[in-house]
Amino acid sequence: MQIQKQTTPVLLFNDECGVCRHIARWVYQSATGNVGEPSILLQPIGDDPEALRLLNPELDIWDAYATIHLLMPDGSMRLGGEAVAEVLRSLPNTRWFAWTFAIRMFGFRPFQTILNVGYTILADVRPIFGCESCGTPSVWLRPIGWMRRRVKALLGTRQHPSPHFTSFSGVKRRQPEVAADRAIAAK
Amino acid sequence: MTGETPAGLQETQRSRVSDDKIATVTGSTFTRLVLEGKGPIVVEFMSYGCAHCRVMEPVLQQVAGMVNATEKIFRVNNAVDQELVDSYEILGTPTLVMFLNGNEVARVEGPRPTVSSVLSIVTQAFQ
Repeated sequence: MQIQKQTTPVLLFNDECGVCRHIARWVYQSATGNVGEPSILLQPIGDDPEALRLLNPELDIWDAYATIHLLMPDGSMRLGGEAVAEVLRSLPNTRWFAWTFAIRMFGFRPFQTILNVGYTILADVRPIFGCESCGTPSVWLRPIGWMRRRVKALLGTRQHPSPHFTSFSGVKRRQPEVAADRAIAAK
Repeated sequence: MTGETPAGLQETQRSRVSDDKIATVTGSTFTRLVLEGKGPIVVEFMSYGCAHCRVMEPVLQQVAGMVNATEKIFRVNNAVDQELVDSYEILGTPTLVMFLNGNEVARVEGPRPTVSSVLSIVTQAFQ
């Protein structure tokens, strides 16, 4: 397996998630704003675990979808809020305040902690914006998700069927004969 | 800087990569491994971008380890093998399709992600 050497951090993003795509677009625009090499490269996670392992042999595709990953040129990985802090440190237009995330007070990094909480909330909120690959919304968000679906239904907005079953879809057992009968009946 | 991957997580990732008990079948290997395969075979139609598949993955790995001697479990990546998805009329992920000597005998869509539930699904289908 040929490991790809990189000289610039690579931010992996979930290209099935609208919120993630918006953020990735903003990072891309910020990273390439100045003339010269972009300070961060962006790559969709995609569907090929082997392709991801070429970037870093310890990178697991399931983890990549669960948490934001920033692959550093030295082979290490930043995850979650730490990845966000590193991205902000690398972007020319956010560098001026991103140094605060490294400030330590009594062995504790208050600004980094706030960022971690912010990231956790954002990651939690994504499913209610229609990201089916971001998991089931947390309990505190389910009423909001339910209201959003009701409003969409009232407004007549077309809701696309989900390509993914969720824990709440309920188990459906199908015998192949039944499926074949249905197909014949449909014709 | 403390942003590097925690050692525990790295260990988990490494073990996950190396201990994959479920082989991936593609359109080119499906006939040989599944349709021409002998005995009970379970195929999980899944997608890496599916949150429920993510929850199912460790459960299915555990079940694969438990039924290793009697049944084989494979996965099909829906995003890559769209032809298989269409030909088996897969409506969503995860879907478990059970084959016995190359013939589909049952399928379950969106199974509950617990070891006992999945184990009973993959064993009862062949009884």
